[in-house]
Amino acid sequence: MNLLSKIATSIGIFTLAVGSLHAQNRELVVGSSATYRPFAYENPSKEIVGYDVDIIKAVAQKSGLQIKIVNTPWTGIFAALNNGDVDLVISGVTINDKRKQSYDFTMPYFEARQLIAVQKDSPVKALKDLAGKKIGVVTGSTGDDTASREFGKTNPDIRRFESTPVVISELVNSGVDAAIGDNGVIAFRAQEHKQLKTVNDPSFPKEFFGIVVKQGNKALLDKLNAGLTAVKADGSYAQIYKKWFQAEAPVLPAQ
Amino acid sequence: MDQLLWFGWFRADIIVEYAVLFWRGLQMTILVTLICIVQGTVLGLAIGMARLADARHAPARQLCHYALRWPATVYVSFFRGTPLFVQILLIHFALLPLFINPADGLLISGETARNLKQNYGAFMSGVAALTLNAGAYISEIFRAGIQSIDRGQTEASRSLGLSFARTMYHIVLPQAFRRMLPPLGNNAISLLKDSSLISAIGLAELAYAARTVAGAYSRYWEPYLAISLMYWVLTLALAYAIKKLEARYGRGDSR
Repeated sequence: MNLLSKIATSIGIFTLAVGSLHAQNRELVVGSSATYRPFAYENPSKEIVGYDVDIIKAVAQKSGLQIKIVNTPWTGIFAALNNGDVDLVISGVTINDKRKQSYDFTMPYFEARQLIAVQKDSPVKALKDLAGKKIGVVTGSTGDDTASREFGKTNPDIRRFESTPVVISELVNSGVDAAIGDNGVIAFRAQEHKQLKTVNDPSFPKEFFGIVVKQGNKALLDKLNAGLTAVKADGSYAQIYKKWFQAEAPVLPAQ
Repeated sequence: MDQLLWFGWFRADIIVEYAVLFWRGLQMTILVTLICIVQGTVLGLAIGMARLADARHAPARQLCHYALRWPATVYVSFFRGTPLFVQILLIHFALLPLFINPADGLLISGETARNLKQNYGAFMSGVAALTLNAGAYISEIFRAGIQSIDRGQTEASRSLGLSFARTMYHIVLPQAFRRMLPPLGNNAISLLKDSSLISAIGLAELAYAARTVAGAYSRYWEPYLAISLMYWVLTLALAYAIKKLEARYGRGDSR
């Protein structure tokens, strides 16, 4: 081996070493749509806070990950994950089969159900009472799926909006008769507006929120799962849950 | 529905699945654009004339200044100086509920208001915002067009005994209109494209259809490419119509 190739090899090894070191310490970008109070929202000092944020911070701490949370609009959040703008997404994303085909999910970190919000004087008692009524949902959310499945995905009575606050404004202004969304968010918003009430349809199935990574990113997924397990084990999960929902945390399944 | 792949990556089936939404969206986009072009032109003419209003003697002169020119200038300044998107949100979520509201609408309230808002709320706000915005731009086109006609034309017409209105109608506007056609055409094309912003308040037009599909499948090429193509065809058609109009009104020039 002559000197030149020795130098070349050592430079190559050096670059590789620096590269992997860099990859390990690289700050991971977390995408979250900050219109989802109490899961993720911006406080007056422009920080993103909420249940999701506390969970991911605790997980990151347990598994030694550096993270930076970036406010990403919900409608583009999966595109951001696909093209690498964000490394993971924690934004109240419900784990479902359709999404599992395209992305990988961690174990659940929250138990959710769909909930309907209507005006106080509304006679609506269940999802099927919404037939023929105008329903507001967030585009591509589980509420959108629920309404689409029940009333047809091209039904003009389903009105889709960018974010939950807009859906609630429409409901308050009587632009729609009802809103469907994740219980945590809908309950919070209904409590904010005294002319609204929530309707719980027992036929809605139990759902779980998971952290999303790009399909096949097993290294990151394993770290996140390990972190989540630790966070559940040491009681910080229960503590965070209590902080945001003033209730005892439910026991979540491992899968 | 089975996956229908074009060129190995374009999933045409998801467009076919939502074909109704795209078709109705296309009709809505065309309808909104046509209404706004007509209304915007009428409004633009009125505002443009108001900005040019002047009189020779005392009371009428002040009246023209404070009651016509000044408000028209402020109007144009506001609608050109603020983003259209903000205007749409302002009108839909703040102004419209003030006037049409089931609880305490200034103009319409009760059940009528509820029906109106639910069926035409986004349509009314969108058309209003787009018309008001286009009116501001078009008024400038009218003003420039009218001012571009030599004063001698007016003077000659007036000295022949024609009234101001007849001078405008028979002498100035026909000549000015020919010069105004190219910028008016530009304006019509931007109006067509800007109508996509109304999807934010839930009006089911083309962009809304694309957003719905993107939200349901987390796929972005197919829906956005599909509507890009549709918008492009529409603008080509508009450009062609304007070219024909220019040829029609330009006949006098090509001697």
